[in-house]
Amino acid sequence: MLTTPVKLWRRQKKVATHIGRVGKILNWTIIRVPPKAFHHEAPYPVVIVEYENRERTIGQLVDFEEGDLKKGKRIVAILRRNFSGDSESVIAYHIKFKPYEKI
Amino acid sequence: MAGIVGYGAYVPRYRVRLSDIASVWQKDSAEIMGGLKVAEKSVPAIDEDAVTIGIEAGKKALEMAKITPSEIGCVYFGSESHPYVVNPSSSIAAEYLQIGPNYFAADLEFACKAATAGIQIANSLIESGQIKYGLSIGADTAQGKPHDALEYTASSAGAAYILGNKQSEIIANILVTSSFTSDTPDFWRREGMRYPAHFGRFTGEPAYFMHVISEGQKLLEKSKLKPSNFAYAVFHMPNGKFPRVAAKKLGFTPEQLGPSLIVDRIGNPYSASSLTGLAAVLDIARPGQKIFFVSYGSGAGSDGFIFETTKKIVVKQRKVVSVEKQIENKTYVSYSEYLKHTHTL
Amino acid sequence: MRVNVLGVSTTEFGELWEKSPRALARQAIQGALNDATISSNQIDALFVGNMLSGILGNQANLGSFFAEELGVPVPSYRLEAACASGGVALNAAINSILAGQYETVLVLGIEKMTDSSQDDVTSGLMAAGSDEERMAGVTFPGIYALMAQAYIDEFAVSEETLATISVKNHYHGSLNDKAQFRKTITVEDVMESGKIADPLKLLDCSPISDGASAVIISAKKKGKKPVYITASEVASDTLSLHDRSSFTSISSVVRASKKAYKKAGIKPEEIDIAEIHDCFSIAEAIAVEDLGFSKKGQGAKDIAEGKMTLGKGKVITNPSGGLKACGHPVGATGIKQIVEITQQLRGETDSRQVKNAKIGLTHNVGGSGAIAAIHILRN
Repeated sequence: MLTTPVKLWRRQKKVATHIGRVGKILNWTIIRVPPKAFHHEAPYPVVIVEYENRERTIGQLVDFEEGDLKKGKRIVAILRRNFSGDSESVIAYHIKFKPYEKI
Repeated sequence: MAGIVGYGAYVPRYRVRLSDIASVWQKDSAEIMGGLKVAEKSVPAIDEDAVTIGIEAGKKALEMAKITPSEIGCVYFGSESHPYVVNPSSSIAAEYLQIGPNYFAADLEFACKAATAGIQIANSLIESGQIKYGLSIGADTAQGKPHDALEYTASSAGAAYILGNKQSEIIANILVTSSFTSDTPDFWRREGMRYPAHFGRFTGEPAYFMHVISEGQKLLEKSKLKPSNFAYAVFHMPNGKFPRVAAKKLGFTPEQLGPSLIVDRIGNPYSASSLTGLAAVLDIARPGQKIFFVSYGSGAGSDGFIFETTKKIVVKQRKVVSVEKQIENKTYVSYSEYLKHTHTL
Repeated sequence: MRVNVLGVSTTEFGELWEKSPRALARQAIQGALNDATISSNQIDALFVGNMLSGILGNQANLGSFFAEELGVPVPSYRLEAACASGGVALNAAINSILAGQYETVLVLGIEKMTDSSQDDVTSGLMAAGSDEERMAGVTFPGIYALMAQAYIDEFAVSEETLATISVKNHYHGSLNDKAQFRKTITVEDVMESGKIADPLKLLDCSPISDGASAVIISAKKKGKKPVYITASEVASDTLSLHDRSSFTSISSVVRASKKAYKKAGIKPEEIDIAEIHDCFSIAEAIAVEDLGFSKKGQGAKDIAEGKMTLGKGKVITNPSGGLKACGHPVGATGIKQIVEITQQLRGETDSRQVKNAKIGLTHNVGGSGAIAAIHILRN
């Protein structure tokens, strides 16, 4: 299990504050040999991100084109689901990033 | 009556062409596309579900409404693909939207009209003075059974509407709302089954048209308005053909219907279908225009609304990432990638 | 400080299907006792360094578990610091001697990884990272790949230059009969191996291994010229890579090594041999800079030019073959490094002997730099 219901619940308020935050990519890699829980998503890029308030975090980059994988690319934090759990466990939602397009 | 103070729509980025689906099953794609009047449909990313999509739409609605999330007094989430059978999408979405804890909430199911029913409930709660703002979300990652007719149209999207009663904030007032409901088993999904079942041509006249036309006529009678009084007409879009036929039958022109016809390019995202069509219209509507709206949910029923836009719509339209832009911002996937994305492979 | 090394021993490292953790421990412990020519009842305490036993094999309580293999129920402790478990266990053992609590202590570093699937190991190793890193789906190769990318960007170093690090270590490993890999490789071999996490490829990464190493240390001297440990420093840093002040330097290593040099009264230039924690090729490039052997940004280039290769270089890094070629049973590595340096300083390492080695250093890192253990030894 990627997480337990209690951990998911305890973290929720903090995770909620990330959704919609804008930042930029500091560096990136592509995971080709994934851990168990992420098998079905591999290969996927992981990026270290710096938000506009200088806070940093790490997460998967999704919905991207090849040219988006570069230092300085602006991204926005979104919520996505991890589908790997068995059909009985609680569903894990967590923060990922996608390229940010200003209107 | 309350009015819309904010709305948001979210269309996932990926598309699969109907011709790619048809070629795998060795069907004539021109025939299928011609019959359904749909060219391609939206496909969720491998890590999206109705809740994540609903949250994207809800976030946009909150940004447009410019209210603090905790002011939302009710959250209704309508879907045919709730991630849990028991454990509400409404509270999950609300928590991630930082709404709460003082709100009425429930998950709704009434096939494709669940979220419009949610709007009616929010409207009533506001009208009765119990809440100031209400949110209704419709979102789906609809499953189409491979090789079945519905595979060509079942798609994904989300739409969220926040209602309020302050005229200074309302972009479109609800003038009239009503519903027409009966027990008509045209399309259903049994507990534990992954894909819905339907009864072919029975989904047409006795189901979709009976309820949409009856409700449509009711709206016209109640409001004493004529089709020519309206700038736009929006109907539930199970395919490209049905809403065009319904519009014609009720007396609306292709020009009035056109802007809402998202189905041609993204298919039928079930609970988000009519509401995303409405969003496409609100993206471009001018002040003082009337919008005729009838949803449809199999089982069966139609929720009807007459909206009238206000001057406030102009300012709130400015920061919108329009439905049109999201429809055009697309990446094509192959049929096998589509199966991977929808967890069939 | 002077803590004497009485005896050292290591098992071979590799996929040791037939050897259970107990068998590995017995082999290393007995080897060290023989090397020290003492018996087990002269051991006052046992310190064990291990990371994955609980995570993969559901076996905790390792102090008692391995004291059974020593055969004497001595005070026993297990320390965990991810891949620095060995170095940190040694540091604790040294401190217990300096505190006057024990006189002669056996430190065992041990890891059994091949009983589990590669999947379970990859996920298990992520226990050394943070929750955020785990939720991001990143792996250890991924975390070091992020450092590699930053390094390549900042210092305009090519992937081929980084590849020479694995080439050097395989060359050294080919001379070590305990090493997991004893074949030499070329830069082309590295460049053509499959990508694990861009830009790191299979041959940039240390393997999954089994093994055990043991060292017996004492306040007492034995023999005319024992090798002794003259500095033992541990330092820590943030758990997540993204919370660090730099992606191209491991601050815990800089701080621990500065303290170690100071306490040993020596400068980096005086180090003859160093066992470096090359869990990935990039780790060694960064390490030799953090330890003061190379200027910032020059580490990979210096290694590519042969400045740290046996027979050619000034400071020989990873004479054992390092983690890449000798293998990396995570809890054992920190102790194996001590075994190698000790044997080098005694002149016992045959074809991979670094001539006239006088001062050696071991560099053992946990996670992506969350913890570092630095030891300096002399003869």
